[in-house]
Amino acid sequence: MDCDAFRDEMMDLLYGEAPPAVAQRLEAHEAACPGCREELASYRRLRRGLAAWRVPAELEARARPRAVARPYLAAAAALLLLVGGGLVLRGSEVRYEAGRFAFRLGRGSGPAEVQTELAAQEARHRQEMQGLRLSLASSRRGDDQLLRTVQEMIAQSEARQAGLFTAGLERLEERTEARRQYDLAQVGVGLSYLDGKAGLQAARTTELMGHVLQASQKR
Amino acid sequence: MAPSDEELVEQFQQGDSSAFDALVRRWDRKVQGAIYRLVGPSEDVRDLSQETLLKAYRGLRTFKKEARFSSWLYQIALNVCRDRMRRGRGRSYVSFDELTDGGESPGEAGRSALELIESRDLSRQVAAAVAALPMEQREVIVLKEYQGLTFVEIAEALDVPLSTVKTRLYRGLGQLRQQLIRQGIRGSAPVPAPTS
Ligand SMILES: [Zn+2]
Repeated sequence: MDCDAFRDEMMDLLYGEAPPAVAQRLEAHEAACPGCREELASYRRLRRGLAAWRVPAELEARARPRAVARPYLAAAAALLLLVGGGLVLRGSEVRYEAGRFAFRLGRGSGPAEVQTELAAQEARHRQEMQGLRLSLASSRRGDDQLLRTVQEMIAQSEARQAGLFTAGLERLEERTEARRQYDLAQVGVGLSYLDGKAGLQAARTTELMGHVLQASQKR
Repeated sequence: MAPSDEELVEQFQQGDSSAFDALVRRWDRKVQGAIYRLVGPSEDVRDLSQETLLKAYRGLRTFKKEARFSSWLYQIALNVCRDRMRRGRGRSYVSFDELTDGGESPGEAGRSALELIESRDLSRQVAAAVAALPMEQREVIVLKEYQGLTFVEIAEALDVPLSTVKTRLYRGLGQLRQQLIRQGIRGSAPVPAPTS
């Protein structure tokens, strides 16, 4: 084995992933070649240094979620899918805590910023709706009536969204966003039904989304 | 004996939703640690790990068992992190510099104050050095060095060839070595820095 070949496989040796036969050849070269020996030794020292980086204890401590309330998880997963993981106005969030989901609507801080956010939101919204359409098209469980309803909801929501956007800044109130979230949530209910959820679960989802709407209008 | 990840996935796919809880209990800390190291010490870490778990929940029903669950989960986490960075919503990872607490290691009791300060200082410097790496290298370093994934698992999570994983790791380590020598970290001395 020459030095180039050693360097090529050094990572396997460094992390203990070289098969025995390969490890043997690498170690033979390491023993015979001072340059490569020092090279490998320097990486071993580096690794000991890297081990000094700790995740803060407070982060670790709060990492563990309590019991997972799955119906809510499903609902939030649907919502999350719809909003593409990024709730739109700054600071908005759906988060899971202590066995339940909480929703908080953020506030934009100034008109210019709001406008930028709104434009981005509009683009994302369109994209999300498109994705939703695609997923509905490939949906396995065909309840035609429901499918049509959901599609209608999408269309209505899109129209509303477009109207609000063109109407301009003065009509941008937080209720706008709440309305949009509610639309999305409604669609989410349809989706989770299509996913084969039991009626009870759909009802819970609706209930949750009712809270979402209330919470967002309160602020 | 505890069921394997793959057995839990199987149970979940056969309708036992509680299997997902077991997977979450097993993985949430690890995922959160990886996200912390990828995006830096911002408030977002928790949100991102929540998002990862929700997406996992959503996708698990159709998860194909060709890949390991761990690789798949890390893949989701990586995508969530990349997404967040693209949107530029996370704080810059250079903010490791602002970190005042390098974290408590389990064996801190009994160490001298000086040792403690030194170790925190080192933790901060390592964090900053890793944060300075290009994302591609940082991902591999985090998955290998801190999450302990095998090369094969990393290749699966990143969906790149094995050789690419090793190349990125090699380059990343090389850069870290240089960086930390520049900062005079004892652990990586006394190798002379390349003259380039
Ligand atoms: Zn050599």
